[in-house]
Amino acid sequence: MSERVEQVFEVLNERGLHARPVTQIVQAASRYRCDVELERDSQRANAKSVMGMLLLVCHKGSKVTVRATGADAAQAVAAIGELFAARFGER
Amino acid sequence: MNTGVTRRLHGIAASPGVAVGTAYVIDRRKVNIHRRHIAAHEVDTEIGRLHSAVAVARQQLQQIRERIAPEASEHSVILDAHLLMLDDALLTDQTVDAIRNELVNAEWALRNTVEKIKELFDNVGDDYFRERRSDVDFVGERVLRQLMGTPTELPRPADLDGPVVLVAHELSPADTAALARSEVLAFVTDGGSSTSHTAIMARALSIPAILGVADATRLIATGDTLIVDGLRGTVTVSPSDADADAAGERGRRYMAFVRSLRSNRDEPTRTRDGVRITLRANIELPAEAPVAIDHGADGIGLYRTEFLYVDRREPPPEDEQYETYRRIVETMAPRTVTLRTFDIGGDKFSTAFRLPKEMNPALGLRAVRLALREREVFRAQLRAMLRAARHGSVRVMVPMISTVSELREARAELERAQHELTSAGIPWAPVPFGIMVETPSAVFMADVLARESAFFSIGTNDLIQYSLATDRGNEHVAHLARSLDPAILRALAAVSQSAAAAGIPCALCGAMAGELLALPLLVGLGVHELSVEPTAVPEIKSALARIDYREAVTLVGEVAMLSTAVEVESLVRARYEHVFSDLLANGEVGTFTETGTFVLPELLAPR
Repeated sequence: MSERVEQVFEVLNERGLHARPVTQIVQAASRYRCDVELERDSQRANAKSVMGMLLLVCHKGSKVTVRATGADAAQAVAAIGELFAARFGER
Repeated sequence: MNTGVTRRLHGIAASPGVAVGTAYVIDRRKVNIHRRHIAAHEVDTEIGRLHSAVAVARQQLQQIRERIAPEASEHSVILDAHLLMLDDALLTDQTVDAIRNELVNAEWALRNTVEKIKELFDNVGDDYFRERRSDVDFVGERVLRQLMGTPTELPRPADLDGPVVLVAHELSPADTAALARSEVLAFVTDGGSSTSHTAIMARALSIPAILGVADATRLIATGDTLIVDGLRGTVTVSPSDADADAAGERGRRYMAFVRSLRSNRDEPTRTRDGVRITLRANIELPAEAPVAIDHGADGIGLYRTEFLYVDRREPPPEDEQYETYRRIVETMAPRTVTLRTFDIGGDKFSTAFRLPKEMNPALGLRAVRLALREREVFRAQLRAMLRAARHGSVRVMVPMISTVSELREARAELERAQHELTSAGIPWAPVPFGIMVETPSAVFMADVLARESAFFSIGTNDLIQYSLATDRGNEHVAHLARSLDPAILRALAAVSQSAAAAGIPCALCGAMAGELLALPLLVGLGVHELSVEPTAVPEIKSALARIDYREAVTLVGEVAMLSTAVEVESLVRARYEHVFSDLLANGEVGTFTETGTFVLPELLAPR
């Protein structure tokens, strides 16, 4: 069963999606079999690609859509959503 | 494997001494990639080569990651990112596509993919994100080296056959730290400056280093015999036997001279007539603290904490700073350690702060100005310093004070930091709170500032730059930046007198403290706390012991009648050149400036 789940999150941490948060997102996304992507201002990046997400250049306050397609899509979006909510462990 | 052709290369003499030895070249620069067309049946082989190269690179990075100390968490994060980039679809899928569609070898396909990704980063407007292209490069290079069978790692010392001269494009702090003294005779690098970590480490190891030698890794081959002359800033490739012998002899003479100077390490620093001078060391790395002790320093007169802030995205956590300060304070105890709060901005850029580009950075948002804008970061540093103060004798100073209000605001942050620690139940100890005097306005206000500071420390490099409105880095005006200019001496006199009137110590931690011919004037002006590069301590101590304080005071009086830097220099030279003759003339014993530039005696005493 393929499902598609998406949700918008705001980047809350001071320094935006720099290398550390992006690494956390890839690590989280890679635990799921579904495809996951991030979208900001209609630019997209694979959530399993560090380079791709760095190229999205998400600053604090950016609204980012997390979109997953596949069997475990809901869990993947939830897991990534938790990272956003926790500000990736930063201030 | 001598080529036989002798050639001499020039660079920055970043650490003194002369070494003769065999070159070991570590070339991690861009490798030359050749495009090779492959047949359709070779496609799978090439893709297989790519995947196994990625696998080996991954294994290497994992091993490095495991070796990294847990406190270096920032480095682990970067390595994690690099590990993920190795498997990044942007990199691997595109490379595989290129091999398959363009029928080219894996190296060519990978290089092109890396270049394309880097182009994407080049177009990003934000500095931080744009700089990530260097991470892409790093990861790509590692796989490329693997594909081409060229080593990516520094050789383990065991791989080195006997002591060698290490020749590299650049050495990271980790590289230099990993190399024990016994295996390496000298460093030669393409890049770097006298303030780079390689320079600092070489001085700490007391081995010669020539940095900024253009194309060293191309012009020197592993196995070449080299003379590395850290006194003159030259590297001689394939010298004649006679030259090599002579250089070896000069190296031994220099070592003997350094040893003879160092025999004074346990003696107190005092003038010939017994006036006590406190001679401390300027350091940047914790590893330099034992070096300072070994050279007989009375403490640390300047610890540049900026080192903790460079090459990282977030300011260093308070606990990490505390541990670093504590290590230095404990190593130096009971000697006093002067911690300077971060002097970032201007020419000292740090990625830990997103600093705006400035038209005139020397006059812009830097040092205490940045601290008072980033008060949380500033207080975290002050808290770490207050905590470290429990472990020995610590004083704290703030750089670039240009108004009394800044000092008051900085002090308010110190008090706030104290309250924060107290209410969190974290133990701390009070610290003398002083300032760097390095702006003309601080000189004019020195009497007021002295009443509100526990001590002064004069930063002559900036004071000279600002007072004479001269950028030393600008060759057209650099000649104006003379430390013995009467304007500078007047400034020093005013600051010293204000400090004396308020009963506070007046220190000097700029390059001037390491200039032999400036010493009699400093002593005469009452600047009796000096701080120099750790390895310059024995020489300066020896020079101070030859100065008579009363004579120095008289000299200051005479110099006050003079009008130009040249007049001052001639008078001082006439009086003191013979006093310092062995220091000046032993050939090549020079001094380090605050920025670590090795000043040859020819420059001090042209003849």
